[in-house]
Amino acid sequence: MADTMATAGAGSSGTRSGGKQSTNPADNYHLARRRTLQVVVSSLLTEAGFESAEKASVETLTEMLQSYISEIGRSAKSYCEHTARTQPTLSDIVVTLVEMGFNVDTLPAYAKRSQRMVITAPPVTNQPVTPKALTAGQNRPHPPHIPSHFPEFPDPHTYIKTPTYREPVSDYQVLREKAASQRRDVERALTRFMAKTGETQSLFKDDVSTFPLIAARPFTIPYLTALLPSELEMQQMEETDSSEQDEQTDTENLPLHISTDDSGAEKENTSVLQQNSSLTGSRNGEESLIDNPYLRPVKKPKIRRKKSLS
Amino acid sequence: MPPTGLEPARMNRKKGDKGFESPRPYKLTHQVVCINNINFQRKSVVGFVELTIFPTVANLNRIKLNSKQCRIYRVRINDLEAAFIYNDPTLEVCHNESKQRNLNYFSNAYAAAVSAVDPDAGNGELCIKVPSELWKHVDELKVLKIHINFSLDQPKGGLHFVVPSVEGSMAERGAHVFSCGYQNSTRFWFPCVDSYSELCTWKLEFTVDAAMVAVSNGDLVETVYTHDMRKKTFHYMLTIPTAASNIALAIGPFEILVDPYMHEVTHFCLPQLLPLLKHTTSYLHEVFEFYEEILTCRYPYSCFKTVFIDEAYVEVAAYASMSIFSTNLLHSAMIIDETPLTRRCLAQSLAQQFFGCFISRMSWSDEWVLKGISGYIYGLWMKKTFGVNEYRHWIKEELDKIVAYELKTGGVLLHPIFGGGKEKDNPASHLYFSIKHPHTLSWEYYTMFQCKAHLVMRLIENRISMEFMLQVFNKLLSLASTASSQKFQSHMWSQMLVSTFGFLKSISNVSGKDIQPLIKQWVDQSGVVKFYGSFAFNRKRNVLELEIKQDYTSPGTQKYVGPLKVTVQELDGSFNHTLQIEENSLKHDIPCHSKSRRNKKKKIPLMNGEEVDMDLSAMDADSPLLWIRIDPDMSVLRKVEFEQADFMWQYQLRYERDVVAQQESILALEKFPTPASRLALTDILEQEQCFYRVRMSACFCLAKIANSMVSTWTGPPAMKSLFTRMFCCKTCPNIVKTNNFMSFQSYFLQKTMPVAMALLRDVHNLCPKEVLTFILDLIKYNDNRKNKFSDNYYRAEMIDALANSVTPAVSVNNEVRTLDNLNPDVRLILEEITRFLNMEKLLPSYRHTITVSCLRAIRVLQKNGHVPSDPTLFKSYAEYGHFVDIRIAALEAVVDYTKVDRSYEELQWLLNMIQNDPVPYVRHKILHMLTKNPPFTKNMESPLCNEALVDQLWKLMNSGTSHDWRLRCGAVDLYFTLFGLSRPSCLPLPELGLVLNLKEKKAVLNPTIIPEVITGNQETAINPSGHAQLVGFQNPFSSSQDEEEIDMDTVHDSQAFISHHLNMLERPSTPGIHLGVFNLEGKEQSPLEMSMHPVATAPLSVFSKESTSSKHSDHHHHHHHEHKKKKKKHKHKHKHKHKHESKEKDKEPFTFSSPASGRSIRSPSLSD
Repeated sequence: MADTMATAGAGSSGTRSGGKQSTNPADNYHLARRRTLQVVVSSLLTEAGFESAEKASVETLTEMLQSYISEIGRSAKSYCEHTARTQPTLSDIVVTLVEMGFNVDTLPAYAKRSQRMVITAPPVTNQPVTPKALTAGQNRPHPPHIPSHFPEFPDPHTYIKTPTYREPVSDYQVLREKAASQRRDVERALTRFMAKTGETQSLFKDDVSTFPLIAARPFTIPYLTALLPSELEMQQMEETDSSEQDEQTDTENLPLHISTDDSGAEKENTSVLQQNSSLTGSRNGEESLIDNPYLRPVKKPKIRRKKSLS
Repeated sequence: MPPTGLEPARMNRKKGDKGFESPRPYKLTHQVVCINNINFQRKSVVGFVELTIFPTVANLNRIKLNSKQCRIYRVRINDLEAAFIYNDPTLEVCHNESKQRNLNYFSNAYAAAVSAVDPDAGNGELCIKVPSELWKHVDELKVLKIHINFSLDQPKGGLHFVVPSVEGSMAERGAHVFSCGYQNSTRFWFPCVDSYSELCTWKLEFTVDAAMVAVSNGDLVETVYTHDMRKKTFHYMLTIPTAASNIALAIGPFEILVDPYMHEVTHFCLPQLLPLLKHTTSYLHEVFEFYEEILTCRYPYSCFKTVFIDEAYVEVAAYASMSIFSTNLLHSAMIIDETPLTRRCLAQSLAQQFFGCFISRMSWSDEWVLKGISGYIYGLWMKKTFGVNEYRHWIKEELDKIVAYELKTGGVLLHPIFGGGKEKDNPASHLYFSIKHPHTLSWEYYTMFQCKAHLVMRLIENRISMEFMLQVFNKLLSLASTASSQKFQSHMWSQMLVSTFGFLKSISNVSGKDIQPLIKQWVDQSGVVKFYGSFAFNRKRNVLELEIKQDYTSPGTQKYVGPLKVTVQELDGSFNHTLQIEENSLKHDIPCHSKSRRNKKKKIPLMNGEEVDMDLSAMDADSPLLWIRIDPDMSVLRKVEFEQADFMWQYQLRYERDVVAQQESILALEKFPTPASRLALTDILEQEQCFYRVRMSACFCLAKIANSMVSTWTGPPAMKSLFTRMFCCKTCPNIVKTNNFMSFQSYFLQKTMPVAMALLRDVHNLCPKEVLTFILDLIKYNDNRKNKFSDNYYRAEMIDALANSVTPAVSVNNEVRTLDNLNPDVRLILEEITRFLNMEKLLPSYRHTITVSCLRAIRVLQKNGHVPSDPTLFKSYAEYGHFVDIRIAALEAVVDYTKVDRSYEELQWLLNMIQNDPVPYVRHKILHMLTKNPPFTKNMESPLCNEALVDQLWKLMNSGTSHDWRLRCGAVDLYFTLFGLSRPSCLPLPELGLVLNLKEKKAVLNPTIIPEVITGNQETAINPSGHAQLVGFQNPFSSSQDEEEIDMDTVHDSQAFISHHLNMLERPSTPGIHLGVFNLEGKEQSPLEMSMHPVATAPLSVFSKESTSSKHSDHHHHHHHEHKKKKKKHKHKHKHKHKHESKEKDKEPFTFSSPASGRSIRSPSLSD
């Protein structure tokens, strides 16, 4: 009883708070049952001669009725289980009713009373069929080493890969075209955005939007931006350092051959240089080898001597 | 120079073998410079100097030193207070002279002012009186220690502070300061003897913030913290005797890099730039090795420092054992174009370390030797590093430059001699400035001077062989290094000074050859040679009849007499002939070696021994001559205009291996727009062995030829298919390959070809649509992702190409340019420019090359009427805070706008910037650009030319630019370009319509009515534009006799000087105004000091003696000053013994009446 109450309450509160949200099937079921009980209560009240009832009292009565019926069910189930059965029998119910202090003998007469109202059975709605999960292909049977009580394999589509063979765009021209227009579009979009969001200058007095120029902004230290390579360039440099220049259409060219050779030589050079610098670095550590006055430590002022001099 | 007593005219130009004779009555042996406080916030410097001098004459009673800008607090000699006066006539060149506006007058006055403080004439701005207590001491020629306390507040020149306005401490902000200037400019930041000929040893101390480094000359002995540990003192010792002008300083939060190859070399750069510094200087040791090897001499100093600073005055400045470079020379390994330029700068500065810093010059007229030698060995380095082709190309370029400049201006004189004979030989009468001092020279002249100097050195080498040449250099260096090690024999130090005489003597000793004629021709004389050559082939005699004419009458030319090499390429080979050019022989017969035999198939031997097959079908069947070259080795400073047939030029282009010959033939082929020329040029373009610069210039020639041939041109636009073949993908010819700049030759070609192609025009004189699309495609498909190098220069050139393709807009009724009527092609161009310019804000390119090109392109669009002409964009880019290259490009556009739109407002804006911009280089550059592209010139009517502008410019050069020699000379250049030598035409007639003849006591009406009189004047001869009356007015005072005028003004300014002395000495009780002004600190002391003066009889007598000799002219001068204001009074004062002189002067305007004066007018000295 308490359970159902709770669930009913939760259900109603859920609907209330949820507003128009569609409720789940269990909630629907509770609501339907409750509605039916309400109809029962109302008809009983009508039978008893009430012309109207406050909603709250109807609710209370419904609640009581529901509790009562639930208790009958629960007790009946207990009795039946007590006798090691799973299905309650009529006698279980009777014992229950008796136990609850109900005079069972009055029941047939009450059931057959003349002024009783007949309530149409609620429309039977089919239990909503839970849609079967999409099955694609047949599940794989368990291999022999897996006991059969283990869950089945999931649907094949969840683990089988199907390689697709779409013709890649290999046409050099198209690729270049694409790369070029992509870059151009990005650049244009970016610069337009910057222009829109910041101050601009224009070459035409009558039109400031067609060719917006991002306004010139002086730097506090102009040489830094002008001289230091941008991060992008640094990145590029690292990349090109490791990767040779490759170009499918250009490989047939002689000059490229030479140039790759060059880059090889260049790399050697740089490595030599690096060695050198590392050498000097290590020498730097020794300090004594490089005698450069700018590397010497700064001396402390000679206070005492001066005093003694004076 | 006029012997005015004060100025020892004998100076040091003695050609005798006596060696160096100091113009100063003392010898400086040691100087201490101590700067104990540098305030970056206030841009001020406080310090003292101490000079140790030995008098060389008894009764030395005053010592003249150089000092500008400095505020001198106190002078002590041997711990005794000394009186001093500070007078700098160059601060304001022409005093109280409101009416004089002609440049002639100014230049003379300026030269006079400069020589009045010239240390090489024994003068100086600061005159210190030796206290009487020391006279005895002096008479014994004992040592004097002069201690001067000074400060410098917001210096406008000499020291340049760079203080970025950001948060943080000065070190964090990258604030730095460095010394800069043109020639001897050390006096701008501490008192010294600012001469290249006064050598001494140095002790330099700089106390700076602990986070900063002070870099200066000599060895860093130690670095010591101050007591509060907040500052450090850098102690430098320079034991090699060095001139004050070679002392430098740079202080900043530098990053320090010890050269990995040479540990005694240290490099400094501003914060964050260390990686660039590493790369940039990684090459320097090779330069060192090269110079040491060829000179067989160790680098003279024990250490070397390079400092890279922002807002540099010049790109390279060499000082004793250190060089200051512009930080913009730094570059990373990705940059191609800047690398050779930076290396050149490094090499240049190092060459000057040997010649210029270590070896100094005796006098200004010996400057050419130093510039010549350093330029020459720098050339040798170029040859070794970049190859013979590059070297020859460079020599040719330099030669063309100097020739063009001399022909334009009338000559560059390497070794001016200013002897006593003052009238006759003013060596630079064709110039509007004096060449007597480095500080009066136009910057351009000085650049050309250096150029000529090294070319002449090359001529000497041609004459005596390189081996001897290097021996001479070695001799000079070893003499100097022996002398420099004589620590206590300062008289030996003069061995470290080079003079023209010493140099020539050394040459004749070493080589045994007489090069006097060569020196006379190119060093003692200005001008270049202009040859016109043509030839005919005499078939009967089998002789080549060569005619070589010379033009030696136009300005800047001189007559050449002597040998001239002619190379004739015949079918049988190449033959050299040496012709003797003589006075009247024009024709030279050269026998030919080969008979004409065009059908025989035989290889043709070239000059270099190579034998080649040639298609001889284009040749003249009768002649065996393939091509002829005059002076192929450029052993004369000349311009050759030679006539030969087009096929000969084409053969020369294809088969002559000398790049200079190829260059010349390309130039000549411009005049022969034929299919054969086209073919020859295309072949050269394709030839990979050919020197890339030749191929580059072939591009432009081809464009010109194509334009001339436009109606008959067949096939695709010139160079397009070539470019496609070389740089585009095989499979899709409209797409350029992804960038790969590994081969620099093809990189340069790839950059240049589109720029040249954009110059093509179709029959409607428009750039062919095909070409424009082609360039746009290049930009579109440009892909640098896989490239090892940056493509910023390449992209910049693509924008240049776009700009080149722009042609004038078709304008209907001068309608206002709006977006709607924009030409669709221009719209595409503008689209690209906009995108590029905007992208630069997000991803800036190295040195902002792309912004620079975009700004130029926008100006081109404006000029051609596609976009409304408007300077606001450029003005915003010209502001301080942009990278200097951007600023210059923007300013160039504003200058151009000022000219085209005749905008007074912009001109004012520019002038304002010249006066107020924080960067000296930018100020200089604006003046330079205005001079190159002037808003108007002297013979032009312009609304801009008005009195206010004249006054403004006059003020600028008269007093506004006294802190920067280069700037002042730049202002003079501009004034000359705008107004010429004489009084500007826009000035109203002077109020005084009368000219007074003071002698004859009568007034004569406006001399306009007697224009013939003034035709004798130099000015009118130069500028016959019809304001003779004005000239006539000034005539008696400034222009009638140029030479005498110089004297007068010299006297005037030195006289001002003297009068101060006299003031000081004669009226001791009332401190002279100058004392009051300049001796701020010592005010309280001055009465005390002054009281000594009456006692000082001996010096007084000296003063008066000296001044008497100049008195007459002095008074004369006064007289003519006053004359201006109160013309009626002055005749009373006019009773000195200078009668004859003044008489002549006063008479001048009226000489038309007397036959004698007629002679003087027509005298040869004037009709120059």
